[in-house]
Amino acid sequence: MIEANHLSRTYQRGDGTPVTALRDVTFTIAAGEFVVIRGASGSGKSSLLNILGCLDTPSSGRYRLASEDVSVLPDDERSHVRSRRVGFVFQSFNLLPRATAVENVELPALYTGTAPDRARARKLLERVGLAERAEHFATELSGGEQQRVAIARALMNDPPVLLADEPTGNLDSAAGESVMQLFTSLHEGSRTIVLVTHDEHVASFAEREILIRDGVVASDTLRRERSPS
Amino acid sequence: MSAQRVVASAWRSLARSKARSFFMMLGVIVGIAALTALASVGEATRQETMRQFKRMLGTFDTLTVRPGAGSTRGMPSLGSVEPSLKFPDGPAIAAGVPGVKRVALVQQAFDLDVSYRDATTVPLVLGVSPNWADVRGESVVSGAHLSEEDDRSLARVTVIGADVARVLFQGEDPLGKVIRIADVPFQVKGVMASRGAGPGGSSLDNMLVVPVSTASKRLFNRDYLTTMVVQLNDAGASDRVAEDVRALLRERHRIIPPAQDDFTVGSPRATLAQISKVGTTLSKVVTGVAVIATLIGGAVIMSLMLIGVSERRREIGVRRAVGATRADVMRQFLVEATLISALGGAIGILIGAGGATVGALLQKLPPAYMWSMIGGAVALSVAVGIVFGLYPAWKAANVDPIEALRS
Repeated sequence: MIEANHLSRTYQRGDGTPVTALRDVTFTIAAGEFVVIRGASGSGKSSLLNILGCLDTPSSGRYRLASEDVSVLPDDERSHVRSRRVGFVFQSFNLLPRATAVENVELPALYTGTAPDRARARKLLERVGLAERAEHFATELSGGEQQRVAIARALMNDPPVLLADEPTGNLDSAAGESVMQLFTSLHEGSRTIVLVTHDEHVASFAEREILIRDGVVASDTLRRERSPS
Repeated sequence: MSAQRVVASAWRSLARSKARSFFMMLGVIVGIAALTALASVGEATRQETMRQFKRMLGTFDTLTVRPGAGSTRGMPSLGSVEPSLKFPDGPAIAAGVPGVKRVALVQQAFDLDVSYRDATTVPLVLGVSPNWADVRGESVVSGAHLSEEDDRSLARVTVIGADVARVLFQGEDPLGKVIRIADVPFQVKGVMASRGAGPGGSSLDNMLVVPVSTASKRLFNRDYLTTMVVQLNDAGASDRVAEDVRALLRERHRIIPPAQDDFTVGSPRATLAQISKVGTTLSKVVTGVAVIATLIGGAVIMSLMLIGVSERRREIGVRRAVGATRADVMRQFLVEATLISALGGAIGILIGAGGATVGALLQKLPPAYMWSMIGGAVALSVAVGIVFGLYPAWKAANVDPIEALRS
């Protein structure tokens, strides 16, 4: 599902000196895997996630998502890839504050060119246990609820890959736990999940851990056998 | 995203920040309201001026022939005009120019004392041919108009205007009474229907008419005219008939090029065209000011939109992350700006038209709306939205989603 081949990412600093965030990163993630990418802050894991999510392109190397080389696609095409193939979950939820829960869930469907599907959005809210909160504004929900709405949103276009960036980072441990349970159950639905974190406990939910240190893959270990799908 | 959904989503976004939306609209509302109100008040005034002129001229299917070259300012009076238009010129035009229905002859003076017993007034005194009332469409409220027989017999009879009747007779029935016009006694034969106000609001009823034959022989002792009113069969042919009348008069007056005409042929249409043009110049200035106000409204939209874009960076980032292209984001902001501006324009039109209606009613004029200007205002407000939304929308489209989403 995900093939990263010798990915590098270099940024220009304000004074023009180049900074290397990623160097020669290579790994493959099969369809249906639950992988955690772990690293300290500044390790380059966010840069990696941006590339995996088609928000950014590598400075060099190849990135194939669902057998398509997306590292060379222009901006518009990458938008379409994000729309169909990737669901994002962010640390700070990033719901639209002036929209209701169900409107937030529906958002990705706006950009697919298909008819609006409120019924599906409601079903997804039910799936994350928030059916009765559908008409509440994002600002009226607790952190844990917001994150579950965000997960429902990520599922709206039924993407094969879910990318989550510190999804429990802004939550208390109980809410964090329930969000991780949700990810685990989504994974059992055979979705590929890639989760970026620095948290050892969060990492323990995944089957495989890729450790990033100073922009390179430091280790790539199986934490436990893949659950049969 | 379908157009309908883009608009619906922009509408939601605006509806959920009402205060900001209102302030964004304010400039456009004021500009468009001013534009609509000024244009409509101007239109009401222009229409009233037209009505006044129509009342003064009586009818539009006429040409007027006056002595002297070029347009004379003010009212021509027998004492001040060239003696170039003679009585026989009238029948000659009626007989010699195709398309002419009839020609009324007029001698006028406005410096003669008119008195009845102790009351005196100085109205406009017109010597007119018997067909004058028909050409002008004048009617009498009592008595009768001047007849052919009155003209032939140099009868000392007069038909007086409503103001003259009121001032001289003060409620007494004027019919059959004898009044003195420059000390010559005339019997009142009829009272004309009121014609109301002419241009500038002055009364058109302070006048009286006598047979032109009587006027020329017994009152003025002049054998030339101050005006000929040429009535046409077809108002559309006025340009051609005017040219024919001119040619005929040049021949009769033996004017050979390069000598100038000793008369002027005018048409009410030309006069009216002149009036509307004057109106247009004024309204151009006014329109310019209102357009500038609307453009300032556009600049307000632009600056508030730019603030909005930086406040909504995160929203833009989210939309981009879930699949919005740059074009989608651009479209969203452009539609919001256009919607705001168009909505402001619509509100402005309602306010402006309402204000114009109140203004017209206060001046006791029938309200009039300049639809072309209102259509223009709609187009302007939409255009303002697009033009001033373009830069903020472009800024929004170029927000870097990675930057915007960094928490």
